[in-house]
Amino acid sequence: MKGFTEGITTENKSIAIAIKDMREVFSSVSIYGPMIGVPMFFAIALPFLTVYVALHAAPSIASRIAAGAVSGVSPSQINSLSFMYFFAINVLGPIFLTIPIFTASVIAADSFAGEKERKTSENLLAAPITNGELLLGKILASLIPTIVLTVAVFGIYGATVNFLSFQEFGTYILPTPTWIMMLASAPLLALAAIAVVVFVSAHVKGIKEAQQISTLLVLPILLIPFISILGIANLNVSFFAYAIVVLCVVDSVIFYISVKDFKKEKILY
Amino acid sequence: MKSVIELDNVSKKFGKEYALHSIGLKIGKGITLVLGPNGAGKSTLLRCMAGLYKPDSGKVHMLGADPYSDAGIRKRISFMPDNYGLYDFLSVRDNMLFFARLYGVDDKDAVSKALETLKMLDADNYIDTKVGQLSRGTKQKMLFCKALINNPDVILLDEPTAFLDASSSERVRGELSDMAKEGKCVVFVTQRVDEATRFDSRICVIREGRIIRDTTTGGLYDELFKETTVSIRLAKPISAGKLRSLGNKVKIEHGNMVKVSIRNYRDINVVLKKLMDAGAYVASVDYAEPMIERLYRGDNDGE
Repeated sequence: MKGFTEGITTENKSIAIAIKDMREVFSSVSIYGPMIGVPMFFAIALPFLTVYVALHAAPSIASRIAAGAVSGVSPSQINSLSFMYFFAINVLGPIFLTIPIFTASVIAADSFAGEKERKTSENLLAAPITNGELLLGKILASLIPTIVLTVAVFGIYGATVNFLSFQEFGTYILPTPTWIMMLASAPLLALAAIAVVVFVSAHVKGIKEAQQISTLLVLPILLIPFISILGIANLNVSFFAYAIVVLCVVDSVIFYISVKDFKKEKILY
Repeated sequence: MKSVIELDNVSKKFGKEYALHSIGLKIGKGITLVLGPNGAGKSTLLRCMAGLYKPDSGKVHMLGADPYSDAGIRKRISFMPDNYGLYDFLSVRDNMLFFARLYGVDDKDAVSKALETLKMLDADNYIDTKVGQLSRGTKQKMLFCKALINNPDVILLDEPTAFLDASSSERVRGELSDMAKEGKCVVFVTQRVDEATRFDSRICVIREGRIIRDTTTGGLYDELFKETTVSIRLAKPISAGKLRSLGNKVKIEHGNMVKVSIRNYRDINVVLKKLMDAGAYVASVDYAEPMIERLYRGDNDGE
């Protein structure tokens, strides 16, 4: 039986590390099962719940949402379609934006702190790899599955929303420019989570501590639906364009600190 | 002697405790044993040589470069840690391929080299088994196999035979001796005196982070086997009267174990001959215990 990587001719050490780490994550269904299964379930279930609420309870719920929250339309004018439109983008979108943070945190913590916990780091660090190659490999191992999963979940949730809105209202809701910008911010959120894990992993002993600290990044994301519902900010293209710029700056700062702080013996023991 | 590894006044601290204290050491080609008790600093010394730790002061030169900062030089080094540290979820083959790729070794050459080593260790049938399913001893064989994958010029081994059976240990020692003959530099760390004295080589004894003795296997016997005792295991007990006829100070320990005082290691042959003449069948001679006493507990320091 030939090995999974045998025959691949690339000499890129970072890719070898990334492939090894991804194989580790996907070697156990107890790790990747919940990581993939739960978002997939919600990507289908939440749009169904939304359409149910839109059809059966939208006016009464809408009256409780702050006036003017939906593009200047008063609560009394909100019909089921506009409720569905509002909810599918302004509430479900931010909820699914937590996926890149959770996924990247889980994989990155396993990748960095896991080497320390499983005592596999000595062989790895004794190999002729630079810190840059090591970090790049581990970042790719976390980023690639995160982006694939996030795009898949956004695709499924978008398709489900469209299917339901077409069935009930004869029109498609997604994609919108705002929704696409929201999706574009996902890799940057993932990178922020990874950078925090790189920093934290050097200072903690195990995977759990690294995960717990990095997943705190979901808190600001979970505020977005409330900001939108309360009318504090309007989730549009400009909002996410600013968010992307801010995330680029924040990512650069966290990565700079993390890489500067990174010393390979810190992931030994 | 031209140095392959040079440690220049190397110190390494963990917190406030010194693991290594101003180590100065030059190691050339051939086998060098580093012998010391638990916590003496052996593994820290090896990790500094392997480029895993940066010394707090002093310098490590490996093949003329700094192994900590120069990733390129680590291509010519191999390190076998004491905790086996391979990836449990991967098969042996995939572990070898992964490390081979990091060392820039071609996949085909890596598999062929791995199979050759595993065959020598009678473990080639495990090539497609996941490492997590292997016994501790077999995992150590796999780790030794990984250590040879890059055909290193310098091989650093931390207790490489600790979990191996006698026959596999012998094969590993044989392989290392062959490598030394080929002009490679082999650094073998152990806490077992009996293991260290199996090689006819240089032995550096380390205690509390300092090299307290730099000698050879023969030198160790000369220096430590003076006015000491050895334990001799007999196949069957013999009478106290016959034991007294030995002339040396003899103490019966338990049944067929006797402790005999000797002046130096040459006395062992004399005592054994007398025992055999008295009709005893000698099963083994344990010389390690008195050597450990002297080496690790402080007698004869710096002789």
